Amino acid sequence: MGDEHLDTRLLNELTVQSQDLNSDAVRITHDALGEFAEQQEERTAKRGWSPLAMIAGLVGAGTVLGATQASAATASNDIMALQTAASIENLAVSVYTTAAGLPFIKTGNKTVAAFIAKTTMQHTAHAQAFNAAITKAGGKVQNAPDPKYAAVVKSALPTIKGPADVVKLAITLEDVAAQTYTKNVSEVSDPALRKLFGSVAPVEAQHRSVLLAVQALLAGGGASLIAIPTDAAKLPAAAGSVGFPASFYPTSSASPVSEGAVK
Amino acid sequence: MNGRKQWELQVSEAELSSMTRDLDEAHRETIPTMYAKAGEFAEQIAEQNGTPRSLARRRFLLGAGAAGAALALAACGSGGSTNTGSAPASTGGSSAAPASKYTGDFKVVALATALENQAIAAYTAALSAASAGKLGAVPPAVGTFAKTAMAQHADHAKAWNAVLSSAGKPTISGVPLSGQPAVQQALGSVKTVGDVAKLALQLENQAAQTYLFAEFNVASPGGISTAASIAPVEAMHAAVLQFVLGQYPVPDNFLATDMAANPSQLTV
Repeated sequence: MGDEHLDTRLLNELTVQSQDLNSDAVRITHDALGEFAEQQEERTAKRGWSPLAMIAGLVGAGTVLGATQASAATASNDIMALQTAASIENLAVSVYTTAAGLPFIKTGNKTVAAFIAKTTMQHTAHAQAFNAAITKAGGKVQNAPDPKYAAVVKSALPTIKGPADVVKLAITLEDVAAQTYTKNVSEVSDPALRKLFGSVAPVEAQHRSVLLAVQALLAGGGASLIAIPTDAAKLPAAAGSVGFPASFYPTSSASPVSEGAVK
Repeated sequence: MNGRKQWELQVSEAELSSMTRDLDEAHRETIPTMYAKAGEFAEQIAEQNGTPRSLARRRFLLGAGAAGAALALAACGSGGSTNTGSAPASTGGSSAAPASKYTGDFKVVALATALENQAIAAYTAALSAASAGKLGAVPPAVGTFAKTAMAQHADHAKAWNAVLSSAGKPTISGVPLSGQPAVQQALGSVKTVGDVAKLALQLENQAAQTYLFAEFNVASPGGISTAASIAPVEAMHAAVLQFVLGQYPVPDNFLATDMAANPSQLTV
């Protein structure tokens, strides 16, 4: 019944579009992961020298050790950042999957249901990309949700009564994801990881943009305008700007790299 | 306006505008942080060029004010011009200079400024055409979108120009890009809001992707973080435009770089 209500035509179109339009993006992500793997191999090779330097105890050993420790700490931070990112994605997938099963979503606005389905797939792809990078870096993959925001979701779920509540919760998660990855771009040590975080942050920002517009339309009684294609002529003026509230994406609510790290 | 009569808001437009205002206040709160980052960037790249950080900081603060004046010129949208410091005299033009004034990270900053100016000029021209009735009926939401997006591009250009002036580099007040004549030609032939939205979508996607490219090609940490904070905003503009055009607003799982502008497109 829910499946019948889902806009399958739109979803099928989106899947085909996705396969075409994502080919370059997927290639870029693969490139980024490949470059990251090469960097990790170089780091591992350098780390291999450190015991020899320590055993030798010769001139410069302290310097080599210091540099090696700094490099290891940097690599560790990169892995933690990836694990935290994966944990945020895991939580998003879980929340959207739960939302898709709610009666008022299953029988509600078809475009909202299609958005949830598509966004779940996109977050799944992000989680896979982050975990693939973790594996290449020699870290432990993160399959658990972000603990801080899992608690937020847990306390919010019983209060969800309608689509607007789901949208509000989703906005929080998308914003945290976008802010975290935006900040990670300048915090990770590896250019390939900058590319990876930098290619995901705008997509989360776009999810938030759509959700902000949906939130405004729901609040304004314009649910019928949440459609693809919409009737642009009927959109209220404020709907044209509600989806992008800041000139610069903030990072003040970004999750610290350790928040979702595997203990 | 007819559309408004057909659809009655359960909350008033004023209340909806209030929601927007709250978000706008949040936006204003991000600007000081971003200018701090851009200032830091200015100091970093100036230091790489042998300029003392304190001097670069002073120049940045002065440049942030002067950049506002440069933006007014950007709205004219033609050719490309550079301003030496805060002086109004311009040099260069759309023809390729024998040797670029911008190298390394500065070249990416100059490219970013030119792209922002290009967007400002495009939205200015579109709004002008709309006011003249050349685009037919313009939905109120599209008008609000164009004005807000244009203001955000102006904030971006101002930040980048302040970085240039702080390093003693000429600011960019026009659109010194080899592709600008084609954009102007396309703008001249638009007949509908949809035509404008398609062109704007191309510019927004190009900007977002160029910033992604910059994130892993710029050396300065300040430049990386500034580019990282702008790319999502350009992508959000693109999402709204996709929606207005009747397309799915978030088509890609990952942002690509195939549409990114190449620094070689800079003509100054």
